[in-house]
This record gives sequence, structure tokens and C-alpha cells, in this order.
Amino acid sequence: MALNLEDYFLPASLQEASTLLQRYGDGAMVVAGGTFVHGLEVRGLLTETVALVDISRLGLRGISESGNGGVSLQALTTLAEVGAAPLISRNPAFGSIGDALQYPPRQILNVGTVGGCVAAAAPLYDLPAAFLALDGQVQASLAARQRAIPLNDFFVGLFESALQRGEIITAIELPAPAARSASAFLKLETNANDLSILNVAVRLTLDKDGKCADSRVILGGGVGETYVRATSAEAALRGQTAGEASFAAAAAAVVDDFEAVEDHRASAAYRRHIAQVYVRRTLGTALARLG
Amino acid sequence: MSLIGKSPERPDAFDKVTGGKAFPVNVKVPGMLHAKLLRSPYPHARILSIDTSAAEKLAGVKAVLVPSEVPKRKFTPVYFVPANAGSMVQDMLIMSDTVRFAGQPVAAVAATSLRIAEQAIELIEVEYEELPTVFDPEEAMQPGAPQLHDHATNNVAVNPVMGFGDLDKGFAEADHIFEGVYSSHRVHTCYMEPRVCIVDCDRQGNFTVHSSTQHLFGLREKLAFALEIPESKVRVIKSPYIGGGFGGKLDMGYIEPIAALLSRKTGRPVRIEQTRHEDFITTARHPIKVYLKTGVKKDGTFTARHAKSILDTGAHATHGAEVINVHGVFGLLMTYRCPNSKWEGYTVYTNNMIGGGYRGYGSPQACFAAESQIDEICEQLQLDPIEFRRKNAWHAGEPHPMVQGLTLDSYAFDECLQSGAERFGWSKRKKADSGKGTKKRGMGFACQPLWVSGCIGFPDIYEHSGAIIKLNPDGTADLATATMDIGSGQITTLCQIAAAEIGLPMEAVHMVQNSDTTTVPVDAPTHASRATYSSGNAVQAAARTVRERLLMVAGIMLDISPDQLSVVDGKILVKGAPKRSLSVAEVVTRAESPFVQHGANGPAPTTLEEKGTIIGVSSLAPKANPSPVSVEFVEVEVDTETGVVQVLRVVYAHDLGKLIHRNGAEGQVEGGFQQGMGYALMENLQFDPVSGSCLAADFLDYKMPTAVEMPRDIQSIFIESNEPSGPFGAKSLSEPCITVPAPAIANAIYNAIGVRIRELPITPEKILAALGKL
Ligand SMILES: Cc1cc2nc3c(=O)[nH]c(=O)nc-3n(C[C@H](O)[C@H](O)[C@H](O)COP(=O)(O)OP(=O)(O)OC[C@H]3O[C@@H](n4cnc5c(N)ncnc54)[C@H](O)[C@@H]3O)c2cc1C
Repeated sequence: MALNLEDYFLPASLQEASTLLQRYGDGAMVVAGGTFVHGLEVRGLLTETVALVDISRLGLRGISESGNGGVSLQALTTLAEVGAAPLISRNPAFGSIGDALQYPPRQILNVGTVGGCVAAAAPLYDLPAAFLALDGQVQASLAARQRAIPLNDFFVGLFESALQRGEIITAIELPAPAARSASAFLKLETNANDLSILNVAVRLTLDKDGKCADSRVILGGGVGETYVRATSAEAALRGQTAGEASFAAAAAAVVDDFEAVEDHRASAAYRRHIAQVYVRRTLGTALARLG
Repeated sequence: MSLIGKSPERPDAFDKVTGGKAFPVNVKVPGMLHAKLLRSPYPHARILSIDTSAAEKLAGVKAVLVPSEVPKRKFTPVYFVPANAGSMVQDMLIMSDTVRFAGQPVAAVAATSLRIAEQAIELIEVEYEELPTVFDPEEAMQPGAPQLHDHATNNVAVNPVMGFGDLDKGFAEADHIFEGVYSSHRVHTCYMEPRVCIVDCDRQGNFTVHSSTQHLFGLREKLAFALEIPESKVRVIKSPYIGGGFGGKLDMGYIEPIAALLSRKTGRPVRIEQTRHEDFITTARHPIKVYLKTGVKKDGTFTARHAKSILDTGAHATHGAEVINVHGVFGLLMTYRCPNSKWEGYTVYTNNMIGGGYRGYGSPQACFAAESQIDEICEQLQLDPIEFRRKNAWHAGEPHPMVQGLTLDSYAFDECLQSGAERFGWSKRKKADSGKGTKKRGMGFACQPLWVSGCIGFPDIYEHSGAIIKLNPDGTADLATATMDIGSGQITTLCQIAAAEIGLPMEAVHMVQNSDTTTVPVDAPTHASRATYSSGNAVQAAARTVRERLLMVAGIMLDISPDQLSVVDGKILVKGAPKRSLSVAEVVTRAESPFVQHGANGPAPTTLEEKGTIIGVSSLAPKANPSPVSVEFVEVEVDTETGVVQVLRVVYAHDLGKLIHRNGAEGQVEGGFQQGMGYALMENLQFDPVSGSCLAADFLDYKMPTAVEMPRDIQSIFIESNEPSGPFGAKSLSEPCITVPAPAIANAIYNAIGVRIRELPITPEKILAALGKL
């Protein structure tokens, strides 16, 4: 499948980038770290693209506290910078982010961006699962307009997001975690260069009696077109004492929450099995992080 | 001798880490065109018509090639055998109007840019008549299965049967009989540099070829044969090195003859570079299913062995006709002593991709079967698996079991077993499945008791090597040989052998960068673990001539008999008179200087005898192909909830005769382990079961171990048994390193969790299924 790329732009402002994106419509593609491009190209998914709009000159880099304990990650922050930020690494509530960043290869960590991994809308990626478990939201900008999109509504289909034509992600925002919250993440992969066969991100928020006040159980990888929020598993935890018994119940419930993919990488039965094991293990890790 | 066994810096290292400008993929030729192949989406079809008119009209398209235009002579693309070798099957055309696997080229376009060529092939209209398909070799052998080639009844391309003794008697004498079916899958060598070539045809029809190949002379011969032209019309340029081969570049691809024909049509050089996806469907290790039946006495002595091996060769026989024999003879029939043995091999056509060479060449599949089954026997009969192997093994000094007239002069199997077991701590192994908790550890080992350092004794296989070494007036040496460095360090070891033999420092020997088939002696490919041994012998022979001539000239200069002289580190030393020493540079300068020279007493003649370049040339086949032997111990940890296996540590013991380059040798062991572990646990070239098309586009789909999955602790023990026929006592190393990991890992997994997986790769899913958890 022939590539039809004609143009490459390095806009200096969001305004300019938006204009270019609107001008080329479906023929344009944003490039941040650019790590997604090769995979699309070899699978013949880039044939419609005629222009690359490289946003790496737009600044949009850095991590800051966004009032009362929330965190804002600007879109062009690299994955490595996220992993190194004390605001993230010191907070057990954000444990799932650190876990998710254990997996991508060093080269990808150094180049891939927060905005890129979310905008790709590929449920095979890891960090977005962790963001989902933390109720994150996307800040997007189209020319002068800025809007917030909850991640829950962001992933529409495979490679399909709620972004409108020309809209650019400027930041990912994580709300302040409730007290006594911790999160964890696990990914099943064949080697260190793999995308998830299956991944699980969980967040656990305990009340003062050690009961589960709130939780998130997110599944990614071979679970369908988008990430899955495992509501039955969350229901099985609600109000229960956090521990082996409730975690086992959540693990058992998770198989009702998704349609496992059957493909050459793994059978559906194996994915269902791993989902259970990983829900139990991630919940155990999250609980341990609460000390 | 002081250089031998050290680790001098690789002369190619600097160039490679700064971009590798000499890789064939980086070669550019002025005026070159870029070609692209159109490949069939169907695995079995007849081409009814091809319409290229739209493609030809596209601006920038210079030529289109279709099957009706290629020569009609059938060939085998395999390099190391003569084109008409009786043991091979000549069943290929450069392009055919019958398609036998998904991805077979059906047309090609040369254009002024790659992009135009890509656009042009999409404009070619091909009308196919689909034919019934068969992907499973055992189904292909059934009467009534779709037939791929007229010459092959039931799709069997070759069917070697060998044996000795009386099988019935042997099984009757056995106290126990073990039977198992062991199967393996398709894996790719994953050379990093793609298959790539540039072919330039001049107006007299002479072809100059650049290619990422493991064999210059093989490519020359096969290309000339397929094009039906004399070999002297083809000149293959030796690139200083290539980006990996591992056996995956041991045959001419479709790209070289197609580029040649497009170049002849256009009068311009034509370049073709394969994508990773195209590389995946160009070569692979053959899947082989082994039915293995073994009779043993109570004490573990073999009484009878019967093996049947079914090899899936894909659309054409190519390497499959030879791999089956190496697999049977060196993997099953001859590895251990067994008086009554029989082996039957079937190389079977299917509508799968064509298999190729891959390090080990049939032995990994056999070793997995044989060494797994030995573990099963020992487990069931409660025999010590080390003692079991020792009892059934060959010993040094015995006649070579496979090659008549040779002896196992050097053969240190016992030492490998013993030193490996000690270093590893084998005595601490626990009973199978005795661990507690979800993660369980286990230990296992496997052996490759018989292997080669080249191919003497095999029918039809070349075993020549040659070298030219020339000294320069500055005291350095140029070494030219057709032996390709395929990444495994041949430049380094051959320069080291030359330096050590002549008496020069390592840095003084340079590998000549761009020799070609017109300037260096004929050579076999870099394959079959042969380069250090066979090419090393040739280099040593040429170096010996150089040293003799050097000493002769020095003797004249010093007026002393050459036998009173030696060459050490670039200096000619006189026995008992160290002050009289000369440098090599002075001697070479003198040899190349004019006949009459000005001295203190005016002009004076020198001698004629001393005049001329100091040069040594060799072209020879080695006397033997001595057998290396190896043993590998591994410890694994199995997560019994996920089925994921981690290899924790490895001890590898190998009798290589003499260690030439320590780091290089360790690199072979570690690289071999990486490939062997990938074979055991994860690598798998997968195909759509209906369309037959390859599912791997790149390394996202094809999983090989990265540095992260590799065990942190790999120890190499090199046993030096001193092979009398080898350069400085060396024999070979490369292939046993890749053969033993799969059965060693399988045996360790059994020890960890008490279940036996007989089908590669041993994926987490298979483990969970075997544990009854899935
Ligand atoms: C070899 C390899 C290994 C990998 N391993 C892992 C892994 O283990 N775990 C994991 O989670 N991921 C992994 N990845 C995926 C990687 O994390 C993503 O490719 C990366 O994060 C994407 O970021 P980028 O900046 O490179 O995005 P780009 O490639 O630049 O863009 C990705 C997509 O997002 C769009 N885009 C980018 N930025 C914006 C923006 N600000 N606004 C709107 N649209 C935007 C682009 O148009 C494109 O469609 C791997 C990738 C590779 C190539």
C-alpha cells in the first residue's frame, strides 16, 4: 500500500496547527513523539494521510499541581518525564501510572508523549488505562476554544476518539485522589516490545474501617474496540472489606464485564483467565500500597 | 599464539556503531531504479491474465516484468550445492503463472522512485483462478489432497530412509519402550538487515550484484543458472559485512533474478529492498513433526530407535531437501550409540511459505524431540540423566559415526557434562513439581552430542575456502577472502588467525573491503558452523606461506638461515641475537624495492630471489569436519497462575577445540540462547488459517526475546580439546548454541511443574492447559 504523504508542517502556535488540521481535514495527522506512525504505515492505515502536522514546537510540556492535589500533565510531556515526576511517583494513589510506565521500552519512554498515547485511542496502550482508573480528563483545544472531555467519554472506538477535526489535546488532568486511595496496574505481554494482550488498572479507595468506599477496575488490551470499565467487579468490591475474599469476588465477577478477544496472540479463554488473576493481583498491590 | 583466546577489538565495530555505511542496504549506485514486487494474495492459484497497461503508463515507470518473460529453466536457489545437485529438487522459476503460497511474486515494476513503483504495482490487474489449498503436511500426504507439483506424488518432495541393525530385534530386547510425538513450528531468523540487492546489467550483458548474502559464489552460480548465462557474466561484490543472516540468507531470493531481468530491460541498476513483512515470508525454520519411538534396557542402554520426521517445506523444496537429512542424521540417527536404528524423513509440499536455512539446520527440531524424550525416560525409570547420556554417548578416539575415514580425534562430551553440572549446581535439583507457592522453579539440561564444523562427508555440499594475504611495506597485511562476515565476527577471527600465524599484531591485519567473485578464491558460504574452522584453515595456510617468504627474505638480508628466525609482534627475531632484529616493514620494503640499491659503497645489486610482494594464497578443502559437542543447563521459574515462564540462569559447556576470540565466542552462546529461548517460548510466525497470509507485519506481531526477557546470568564454559586438524586446534561453536535451549527449557519446565509440553512454542496458554487451569 503506497504512502501518499505530501507535506510536513512544524507549526509554531496552536492556532496555526488548528488551521492546518482543518484545512487538510482527514488528510492530516498530528504528530507528537511520532512513535505511532510506523505501526500504522506498515499496516496500510496511513494511505489517506497526505500531511503530517508536527506539534513538537508548541511547548505544552511539564507536570504541575492543579490545586488541592490534582495533577495536570501537559500533552507533550514524555512518558519518561511522567515517570520521573515526584508528584506522581510519591503518591500511592498514582501507583498505577508508575506501574504502567514499567512496560514501554526506554526509547518509547523518551520520545512518546502523554497526549499521543491518549489520542491514539488504542486500547492496547497502558498509560490510558491507568488514567481511566484515576478518572482523568482530556483538555482539548480547537483554535481559541478549549474544552474538557472526561476520559470515560473520550474513547469512542478503535483509533477513534471524541476529538473533533482540528482539535488538539493540550493536557491530561487527574483530579485530586480521595484520601486512602491507591492504584495499581499490570500488563500481560510476550516481550518488552509488546502491546497489551491484556492489561488491568485498578484504583481502590477505602473508608476508615478498611471497607471499599470506591473503586475503579479498567481492562485494556484484547477486550474490544475500547477500554472496558468493569462495573460488576467494582460492584463486588463496594462496601466490602478490602482483602483476599472481596478481591477474589471482584476477580470472579470481571468475566461478566467484557467480551474477550480471540486472536493469534491469545485465546479468549486465556484472556478471561488472566483478567481474573490480574484483577486479584492489582487489587492486592493497591491494598499493600495503602500500608 | 599469544593472540589466540584473547578478545581483540572487532575491526568492524567502529564502522557499525557509527551507522554501518558498508551494509548492503546502505549501498547506492548512480542512476539506480527502485523495484517493487506484486505478490499474490492467494496461496494456490493459476494466473489467467495480467494487465500491466495502467502501470506502464504511470510517469516514472521504466519497466514491468511478468511471468511469461522469465527464463523457463527450473532451479533450486540453495547456495552450497551445485545447481544440478542430484540430492536437491529443481522446482522453482523466477516467476511462475502458478501460485503456490500467499505472497509469491507475480509481477514486478522498476521505476524512478520507490513510491512510484509502489503505486504502479497497485495498478496491475491480475485475474486468478483459485485452486484448492493444503496447509498441513500430513493432510498433504493423503491421497486426494491438492497436488502442488506434478513430480511429487502425495506432495512428498524427498523421502530419505536410513538405518542400521535390526529394529524388531532391538525393540524385542528392550525392557521399556517410549513413544512420543514432538512438534515444532515456523520461526524466522530475524536478521536485522532486510534482504536487499542492487543488480546492474551492462550493455554486454554482464551483471554486477550487491546483495545481503551469506555466500558470494553461491549467488553467482544460482543467478547465472536461473538466467541461463555463463557464471563469468555475473560478478558479485563482497560487502564488508551484512546485517545478520543466521542461515536466512543462504539462498537466492526472488529479488536478485527479478532485479537482474529488470536491469537488463532498462539498462539501469535496479534496487530491491524487502519490507520486514516480505522478509518474514522469504525464509523460516521448517516446522518438523517427529514421531519418536525408543527402546531401552533397565539400565538405560538404548536398544532400538525409530523416528519418522515430517517436514513442512512449503511451496518449494529448496532447503527442505537438505534440512531433512541433517535433521535425521545429526539430530536423531547418530547423536548417541544405538545398535538398531531407523529414520524416515518426509519433505512435504504445502501451500505455506517456503522454508529456508536457519542456524542449526534441522537439529533444533530433532534435539527438542530426542532430548525431551531422554528426560522422560530418565524420569520414568528414575535414572540419572547425566549418567544415561554418558552411557549412550560416543567417546574420543572412536571412528566418526557419520563420516567414513574420520575419527573423533577431539571429543570432550564427558567434560562438558561434568564441568557444566558442577558450575550449575545440578546436584541441587529437586524432584519434579516439588516447589510450593504460585511460582515454581525447575532445572533441566540438554545436549547436542554430535555436530559439524563444515560439511565434508555430505553429498553435494561444497567445503572449499580460500584466502589471499599480502604484506605491505609499512608492515601491515591485507587479507582477502570470500568468507562473509554475517555478524558473528568472521572478520575478527580470521584476522586474528592470520596475525597469530604470521606473527603480526592484530591491528596490522586488515580485511579487504570490496573483493568480488573475480578476485578471491572460491568459498563455501558462512554456514554449518564452518567459518572459524574451514576458512580459518585456509587463512592459516595462506599466512604460513607469507611467514615462510618473509623469513626467506629476512634471511637474505641478515645473511642467516631462516630457521634461525622467528616473527613476533611485527619483528623478525634472530635466535640468540635479539639486537639483530628487523621489523616486518623493513623486510617487505626490501622485497618490494628496486634490484639495485644505493648503499654506503655506492650502488650494489641485491638478489632476485627476494624480489616481489610477500604474498600467500590458499584454496583448499579441509581434511575433516570435527564434531563439537555441547551441554546446556537452565533454571526456570513458572508462574502457575499465568503460565508465564522466566529463564533465570544458564550454564553452557561446549568443546570447541580451541578458543580463538573469547568475547566473540560468548556472544555466540548468548545470541544462540536468545534465539533458542525465543524458539522455546514465544517466537511463532503465524498465518491466517483460511487465506494462508502471514499475520506478521513487523516485530509487533512477531515476538522474539529482547534484552529484558534474557536471563541475567549466562555462563559459558569452553572446553579446549585441541582438534589436530583445526586452526590452532579450533573446531566449531555456532549452531549447538541454538539447538539445546528448547529441550533444556522444556525439561526444566517439567522439573518445575511436572507437566511435559511436546509442542513448541511452550506458551503460557499451553502450560495452563496442561496444568488443567484453562
Ligand atoms: C516499539 C513500541 C513499543 C511500545 N510499547 C508500549 C507499551 O509497552 N505500553 C504502551 O502503553 N504503549 C507502548 N507503545 C505505544 C506508545 O506508548 C505510543 O506510541 C506513544 O505513547 C504515543 O505517543 P507519541 O507522542 O509518540 O504519539 P504520536 O505517534 O505522535 O501520535 C499518536 C496518535 O495521537 C495523535 N496525537 C498525538 N498527540 C496529539 C495531541 N496532542 N492532540 C491530538 N492528537 C494527538 C496522532 O495524530 C496519532 O494519531 C509502544 C510503541 C512502540 C512503537
